Amino acid sequence: MYSVYNGQTLCFADFTYLITVTSNATIARRLSNVSAAILTAFLLTACDIDGGDNLPRVPDQGLFMLADVNRHEGDDSAQVAAAVFNDGEPVNLVGGDLFEVRTVTERVLLKQAGPVTGSYAASLPVDDSVQDVFLDVVHLPVEAREDRWYPIDLLNTDPGPGELVGKSAMVSFPPAVTIAPLSQTVYTSISDIIDISWNPVSAGDLMRILAAVECTDGLATSSYGVVVDNEVQLDMDLDDGNEVISLDKFIYDLDDGSDTLKFISDAALVLLQETLNQLSAGNIDPDFLLKQREANPIESTCEIRLFLQRQRPGQFDAAFDGGRVTASSSAEITLSYIPPAAFN
Amino acid sequence: MTFMRLCRRPLFIVLVSLISVALHADSKQQLDGNLLLTGMDAGSTDNFKSGRAITLHYNYYFNNWLAADAGLLLSGKTLEESSEDIVGAYRTNIQTQALLLGVKPRYRLESPYEFYGRLGLQYWRTELEVEEYFGEGIPEGASSATDTGYGYYLGLGAAHYVTEQFIVLFEISRFMQLDVFEGDTAYPFDLAINAFSLGVGYRF
Repeated sequence: MYSVYNGQTLCFADFTYLITVTSNATIARRLSNVSAAILTAFLLTACDIDGGDNLPRVPDQGLFMLADVNRHEGDDSAQVAAAVFNDGEPVNLVGGDLFEVRTVTERVLLKQAGPVTGSYAASLPVDDSVQDVFLDVVHLPVEAREDRWYPIDLLNTDPGPGELVGKSAMVSFPPAVTIAPLSQTVYTSISDIIDISWNPVSAGDLMRILAAVECTDGLATSSYGVVVDNEVQLDMDLDDGNEVISLDKFIYDLDDGSDTLKFISDAALVLLQETLNQLSAGNIDPDFLLKQREANPIESTCEIRLFLQRQRPGQFDAAFDGGRVTASSSAEITLSYIPPAAFN
Repeated sequence: MTFMRLCRRPLFIVLVSLISVALHADSKQQLDGNLLLTGMDAGSTDNFKSGRAITLHYNYYFNNWLAADAGLLLSGKTLEESSEDIVGAYRTNIQTQALLLGVKPRYRLESPYEFYGRLGLQYWRTELEVEEYFGEGIPEGASSATDTGYGYYLGLGAAHYVTEQFIVLFEISRFMQLDVFEGDTAYPFDLAINAFSLGVGYRF
């Protein structure tokens, strides 16, 4: 799952994935993970800004279109990302084929790499009057090469249009989202409840929450994305104007509450740091490994940017076997999580 | 560039006149050949590897400090680093030749050394080729185009007189080709060729 917000590409790891990693692992696997983590100098990074390995859930069979056009509150441009998958594999648009995105007055070509493998992205200027957005796969051999330095209109090997050229989709923006001010923005326990209210439209649109979380424990940092939709929380998708969500949907325990695991991990870290200190004759930063590891969110101070998104499904070409094409409006609020130890 | 166009014809006339005068003067002549290590710059996001070229110069000295300079520049095929974008992978290469005509002032030291400069116009012929690859199942290809035009060159060098006839030369120079492919494309460019060179000369 992915989306593009506020001009920044965020990699939203699927929440169920995060839970699987932290909850269902066996102790043996945990020990193995600890060893691996030590060997790799605790270079485990959470889902960072780079979405290179962030694969969306698409069917294994058939031609599947994935596209999202999101307009964030206050922005004068919408973030557009689109991709086509064939039998589960992303289809590269090459040779001058590319996505063209149009409104009544504006037109952009998706030339940048998008947030998931094989996707393409761009910013589309929009204003309040823009309602419909059209996506087409077109063949523009000269315009596609416009970032090259040489005379592209003179020197151009054109292989002709690919198979996807001519396929299209159309989406319409849902009404803007307005989030009511929260009564509380600082939380100290992952069992705390976040009570979010917004302007309901009840037009059959789907709601979901995405979060960009950045944590620091003073030495190490971690950043990751979370998606909360109706697969994670029942009825989350209803545009009813209110949702109550537990903070543990966004803040998790990297050690999963296992004191044994934590003890072994910390001991291994200390041993390895001491070894490094001796090998380097004290020239290495005594906190080197602590800084390399990933901060455990539950023990860290975290900033949580919550994006409430109203999604409206669009239409895509009948030539596709399936697709997930949406336009969405989003708004954001920022919360803080301060662990009890730090808070006291 | 506009200034260069204005200067082109008068400077050419002056140079021809100088050579004409020189042919009737009692001056020494010099032939030199240089091997150049070149760096090409098309003024944009190009990323050329270093290349090789040779120059041959004929000098006719009007007096002790000024000579006419006529020459020939021949470059090898200079490759660009491969790049990749939404269209596919691509790589360009450039090959150029130029006729050079200008002046060469010099300052001869008492020791067996001299410093000199070169300044003049060039008439160039440049070929640009682009190879493109689109991935499996899509035919790759290459296309090329050639253009000719004017530009200028300048250089600064030092010479060591091994004997009164044989000279070893070291020079840095810049050959500027203006408006390459202008009239053929909406995307013309200026090509700068910067070079270090080492050469030998013979005076007679």
